[in-house]
Amino acid sequence: MKGTQLGEFEELVLLAIALLYDDAYSVAVVEELGQRLERPVSLGAVHRTMQRLEEKGLVNSRFGEASAERGGRRKRLYTVTMTGEQALQEARRLRNELWAGIPKTAFGGPTL
Amino acid sequence: MSHQARPQPPRWAQRLLAWIAAAHLREEILGDLDELFHQRAQRQGYPKARWLYWLDVLLLLHPRLWRRPPDQSTFLHQYPSDSSQPFFLRPAMLRNYLTIAFRTLSRNKLYTALNIAGLTFGITCFLLIGLYLFDELTFDQHHSRANHIYRVIEHKVVKGEATTLAAASYKLAAESGKTIAQIENTTRLSRIGRANLINPENPVNFQETVTNADENFLSIFDFPLIQGDKYTALKEPNSIVINEDLAMRLFGHTQVLGKTLQFSHLDAPLKVTGVLKNHLRNSSFDFNSLVSEATYQNTDFYKQTVASGWSSADFSVYVLLRPNTNAETVSSQLTRLVLANVKPEPGTHLSYRLQALSDIHLHSEGIIDGARNTNVEAMAQGSLFYIRIFLFIALFVLGIAGINYMNLSTARASNRLKEIGVRKSIGAQRSQLIYQFLVEALLITVLSLVAALLLVNILLPFFNSFVKKQLTLGWGTDYRIWLMTLGATLLIGLLSGSYPALLLSGFKPVLLLKGMKINPRGSLSLRKVLVVFQFTISTVLMIGTIVLYWQVRFMNTTDLGFNKDQLVVIDVNTGTARDRFETIKADMAKIPTVKNVSVTSRVPGEWKMIRTVKMHPPGKADDQQISYLIGADKDFLKTFEVDLLKGRNFVNPADSMSVLLNETAARLFNLTEPSGQWLEIPTLSWGGEFRPVNPDNTPFKVRVIGIVKDFHFQSLKAKIEPLVLAYHQNPIHGIDYYTVRIDANGISQTLEKLQSILQKADPDEPFEYHFLDQQLAVFYQEDARRQTLLIWVALATIFIACLGLFGLATYSTEQRTKEVGVRKVLGASTVSLATLLSGDFLKLVLVANGIAFPIAWWVTGQWLQDYAYHIDLEWWMFALAGVVAMLIAFLTVSYQSIKAALVNPVRSLRSE
Repeated sequence: MKGTQLGEFEELVLLAIALLYDDAYSVAVVEELGQRLERPVSLGAVHRTMQRLEEKGLVNSRFGEASAERGGRRKRLYTVTMTGEQALQEARRLRNELWAGIPKTAFGGPTL
Repeated sequence: MSHQARPQPPRWAQRLLAWIAAAHLREEILGDLDELFHQRAQRQGYPKARWLYWLDVLLLLHPRLWRRPPDQSTFLHQYPSDSSQPFFLRPAMLRNYLTIAFRTLSRNKLYTALNIAGLTFGITCFLLIGLYLFDELTFDQHHSRANHIYRVIEHKVVKGEATTLAAASYKLAAESGKTIAQIENTTRLSRIGRANLINPENPVNFQETVTNADENFLSIFDFPLIQGDKYTALKEPNSIVINEDLAMRLFGHTQVLGKTLQFSHLDAPLKVTGVLKNHLRNSSFDFNSLVSEATYQNTDFYKQTVASGWSSADFSVYVLLRPNTNAETVSSQLTRLVLANVKPEPGTHLSYRLQALSDIHLHSEGIIDGARNTNVEAMAQGSLFYIRIFLFIALFVLGIAGINYMNLSTARASNRLKEIGVRKSIGAQRSQLIYQFLVEALLITVLSLVAALLLVNILLPFFNSFVKKQLTLGWGTDYRIWLMTLGATLLIGLLSGSYPALLLSGFKPVLLLKGMKINPRGSLSLRKVLVVFQFTISTVLMIGTIVLYWQVRFMNTTDLGFNKDQLVVIDVNTGTARDRFETIKADMAKIPTVKNVSVTSRVPGEWKMIRTVKMHPPGKADDQQISYLIGADKDFLKTFEVDLLKGRNFVNPADSMSVLLNETAARLFNLTEPSGQWLEIPTLSWGGEFRPVNPDNTPFKVRVIGIVKDFHFQSLKAKIEPLVLAYHQNPIHGIDYYTVRIDANGISQTLEKLQSILQKADPDEPFEYHFLDQQLAVFYQEDARRQTLLIWVALATIFIACLGLFGLATYSTEQRTKEVGVRKVLGASTVSLATLLSGDFLKLVLVANGIAFPIAWWVTGQWLQDYAYHIDLEWWMFALAGVVAMLIAFLTVSYQSIKAALVNPVRSLRSE
């Protein structure tokens, strides 16, 4: 089903939101991912992904507090919903199963 | 870093984003960007942060940025009306605007039709004139180096007498390219005149105007060659390059490279080394054949005379300057170069300047087009004056059409006040209403534009035939014209739509729904001013048309001092036809339908150059007067029916030193009684300068035997100049024409007989003839064309003004329905009511007339000054225009007034 399928970037953003837990908003996600991926991540891409995730019901959002840093504007804080958590678990399970299924000889067999 | 100095994000980027972004995203995104900006400014510095801000904004551009939330309950959503976002980013609203606009337009079919008709007319006029102007203003611009090509102009002052001539010498062209560093190349042209150019395989005698050019000509200019190489085509002697038209005429096809042509001025045949494309219509050059200059260069005569001259004016010289060169400096270098090689006579001042190629067409006033034989027509000139007038008219007609639209939609507004009130109370914002009105205005303008484009394409053939151009409007049209058209349409749409949009959207909904009326006084006065304005323009144009019509009529019908009717003028082209003229003339006179025959060097109403001479009484060489000179025989006076006032006519060859003067010339020398007074003619005009009549510098001595009544031998635009009629055997100008007065019956048979006589004498003679009255009409063709144009423009403005008036009348009678009802109930008659309703508007037209008369009087007065012989302005011309304007206005308004006056009062008073 397309609705629950997670794209790669979607998964990353969703994980970042979970990781940041209480302070998950776009700029924090941009920084978090930027550091970990060691490449610049564009605000536009993150925004659009977050909108998509919300449309799919994987995250919820609410307005946070305003700050002078933001020119007195509020930020939108995201939390992962139950469905979101399930989708992450599902993705992880799928990966684990795949990892488990890889024969021992597949990686680096001949070099022995 | 102090707090105040904290850098701020780029404001334009912020605004752009705020404008584009959907409202529910705006706050967080702007906040995010601010936060990122400040972080980056601290870490990476302000400029980098600024740059990254812009980059982020660019990367944010995505439909998700402006799409509204997918939430279905728009009404209950947190941000119900997102009107601050531009409407074109919200397809739903755009669709709504268009739907409403179409509905409004189709509900008010009359108004829509009036509006579209008016704007279509305006845009059509604008486009037609725009095309014409564009063509005139881009003359000679098709050469790739047009901006670096200049024409050499000679300015010469001899004893206080200045001549400015577009010509220079062989040496100037040859040496300036070598010695002046800024000049990349030069080229010479000389228009040597008409001669027979014959294809030996299919000999047909036909006179062609032949031009000589040196080998650089085709490489400096970009006249495209279909065949041949532009760098070598004119290099070899006896080469000729012809254009498609001439190739078709001589050979019947254009694959003629290497063919030979016989040229009557040369013994050796010419070899065709190139075929040129026909000239573009907006090219000043009109040659159809170019003979290589090298053809002549080897003759000793040429080397000694022409090719060694510094001060002659035998060539049109064009120079190609290197990029970034100042033409002024080169001009003074040219002057110095010439003065270093020629010593001008005392009292003579000589200087040269460069005229840009693009200025030749419109900025050559006062410059004589030199370096051409007397039988070659000068380069056609455009008139800057008319260009300005047309530009003015184009903008005016368009402006009037726009005003009309504004006027009508404001007038109609009261019918829409309820609609606006309802919209507002449902929650429409002011900006949405403004967009609504603008979309309506744009829709109307776009519809009008489409209609105008169709109309222009229908009208273009007619327009072309009378401006003598080949204008087109289609996919191939220059992009600048399209840009101009679209720009003008958008501008008109927005400007004319903005007034009603701003006015109507500003009212309070409560007032609107309570039945508010727009204050009729205030807005009506603006509309009145506009009507007055439109009718002023229309009346001025009408008066202009009437005046020009009478002036053209005057010029075509006034007594010229000779009888121009039924005169056939036959060109003398060959030597035989010239030498054997006595026999030819006698044979012609024997034809029964021929009344008189005369031979002359030029004819009254001449289309080629009439030679001028300087003359003075014997021994008074300082008292030189310039006069025109025509050589004529004893039958001249009889044939042209020119009156001899005093003295006698020529009798026989013994009169070869006798002359007749016209009254003006006689006054010049204070002659009242011709009694064989002697006059001396030392010099004659030759290519813009005066040269001695006799090689040994002795003057040609003549005796005055008679004085003829002044007759208009030139266009009526010029005053009658002094004229000397010399005997046909004179050293100044030999005979060039037979003029035959024929009977009005059997003209074609007479012409055939004349042709057979001429060709019996010389089979090589091409029989070329003109009817003199037609040639005279050519003088005033331009005026007649302008008259036609003016009539159309006047009609267009009147039409548009009437549309506006009609709309206003409709509106105002609608507004006064109740008043009319009450008046009728109280006993007013239909006639008095109709008069009452029309009266207001007729008063406006009267005021317009009052303003228009002085303006028209001044403008037409100025204009008539251009004609040496012109009509006087008369009161009835103004009265006629005024009455016509009133009549048209009355007819326009009365339909509505009478209709309103006839309505049964029960119906108009029943409602409410």
